[in-house]
Amino acid sequence: MKKINCSPRPGWQQFAESVGFAFHTFDGEPYWDETAYYQFSLQQIEQDLEQPTEELHQMALAVVEDVVNSEQLLQQLAIPEAYWQAVRDSWQSAQPHLYGRMDFSYDGNGPAKLLELNYDTPTSLFETGFFQWVWLEDQLMRGEIPQHADQFNSLQDKLQQAFSELALPQPFYFSSVTDSIEDKGTVDYLMDIALQSGVDARYIGLEQLGNADGQLVDLDGYAIEGLFKLYPWEFMLQEDFASTVLTSKTQWIEPLWKSIISNKGILPLLWQKFPNHPNLLPAMFDQGKALTPGWVKKPLFSREGANIELLTQQGQTVKQDGPYDDSGYILQALHPLPKFADSYSLIGSWVVGDSAAGICIREDNSLITKDSSRFLPHIILD
Amino acid sequence: MSNVFKRSKTARLIMMVPAAGLMLTGCGEEPVEVQVYNTPDECAAFYNPPAQCQAAFAEAKALHPQVAPRYHNKTECETDFGSGQCESAPIIASNSIQTGSETAPQAQSQQSSGFFMPMMMGFMAGQMLNRGGLGGQAPQAATKNASPVASQPLYKSRDDRQTFRTATNTAVAKQPGATRIKPSSVQPKPAAMARRGGFGAQAARRSSTRSSFGG
Repeated sequence: MKKINCSPRPGWQQFAESVGFAFHTFDGEPYWDETAYYQFSLQQIEQDLEQPTEELHQMALAVVEDVVNSEQLLQQLAIPEAYWQAVRDSWQSAQPHLYGRMDFSYDGNGPAKLLELNYDTPTSLFETGFFQWVWLEDQLMRGEIPQHADQFNSLQDKLQQAFSELALPQPFYFSSVTDSIEDKGTVDYLMDIALQSGVDARYIGLEQLGNADGQLVDLDGYAIEGLFKLYPWEFMLQEDFASTVLTSKTQWIEPLWKSIISNKGILPLLWQKFPNHPNLLPAMFDQGKALTPGWVKKPLFSREGANIELLTQQGQTVKQDGPYDDSGYILQALHPLPKFADSYSLIGSWVVGDSAAGICIREDNSLITKDSSRFLPHIILD
Repeated sequence: MSNVFKRSKTARLIMMVPAAGLMLTGCGEEPVEVQVYNTPDECAAFYNPPAQCQAAFAEAKALHPQVAPRYHNKTECETDFGSGQCESAPIIASNSIQTGSETAPQAQSQQSSGFFMPMMMGFMAGQMLNRGGLGGQAPQAATKNASPVASQPLYKSRDDRQTFRTATNTAVAKQPGATRIKPSSVQPKPAAMARRGGFGAQAARRSSTRSSFGG
């Protein structure tokens, strides 16, 4: 695993905008960054990332089985009691899931360590599946990268296959918060792939969802029988229409049982069930004691690195503020992100259905990867 | 090539790529897809082979002095195209417009005709390899029986800096990228003004030795 500087394609910004990648720059700071790329060997990809991803995915599913069968664990994960049965039902009736992303700390020498699972509302999908793919094709064509280079990125192929096989209700709706262009980009990308797979895909803003006697309806009053929502389950269960989750005849993507895996409480549960697994870091539920060196404190529910606090072995505190301070916390042993040049790198590893589907790399100038972190492409080259 | 790739075979989009163009009407004519860009580099950044971008740009550049609208003076030209956007127009030697593969490498006359024309501000590529990833179309075979549309220069008017226009003032797109047009609407025509200088060149050549052409 190496970081290699390279020339950005001239005029890539306009190309990005022409394909709906409106958020390539964030508050004047680059988000998509092609001034460098990461290079991996095929062995690093297959043995250190792809195989562990599929194994960890199965381990996480095994933990879900434990949780739905234990009121104590449902309680510990702060899932509202009114929805325990619904979570159970969604798991026991095998409600299908589409995708997720696990984040690893990995420097090229295994094993990769699992930091967390984003299994409910993962983003940076379009950047990975499409834009990074085009970047490689372009750079191969321009002769900037050796002709036999490849990329661990079967995301779009696998999503297309998933939409072809899921047998979703028609029409199938896709929803996101109206104000977020980044979320709209992710949803547009999924809709595009769904349309190509023959799904009658329709968009509805999350705030436009109607509630007719407990059934979710669209703007014309038609029942929504299938809905993809790029919105966290833990929010939905606290809001005005929360009870529609119990009453509406709607198939959800992601299904309600994903609220267990997207919850950071799964990290101590994984460690309890699979102690000393090479890809896991020691983790426990927080008892409110002061943070000790070499540990990270994370809220059960948080997004984009918010409200994470860590204390390095040297006693240095790194802290990211945010709005997620109203749930419990977990503690995880610190496995600092590797540093390449002057940036810390995090590897996101995608799962579609139950298969590993590619990686994306995020860079930040601190040990906590945030919403504003840069996205860099990668290649496989032996 | 290796037979097992770790990456997707294609990455097409059908919804996220909006048509850049303004649909142009014509009767009973199939629109074709062309691409418009400011520069060859921009064309290459939009998923096209750089060599083909350069070739289309060169064809457009060669056509530019033959088709660009002509003005009696710089002021008139700048009224339409903006300050600093006009250049002096050369004498056109040939009376036929040559496009595409027929373009004979003729030395463009550097001699000013006394007229002015807008500078080339972009170009239309009649046909380029589409690698199957973008747009809703299957990749067009890069065959020799090329598109009915000539690669040609484009211009932008002073009061509308966004829109790409042909030399005959047909608006073709508001942004770089692919657009669909009726071929007949963008057929290049000789510069829109009577051209002078087709007679008398012999006189200019011989003036040093003879002062009279009668006899």
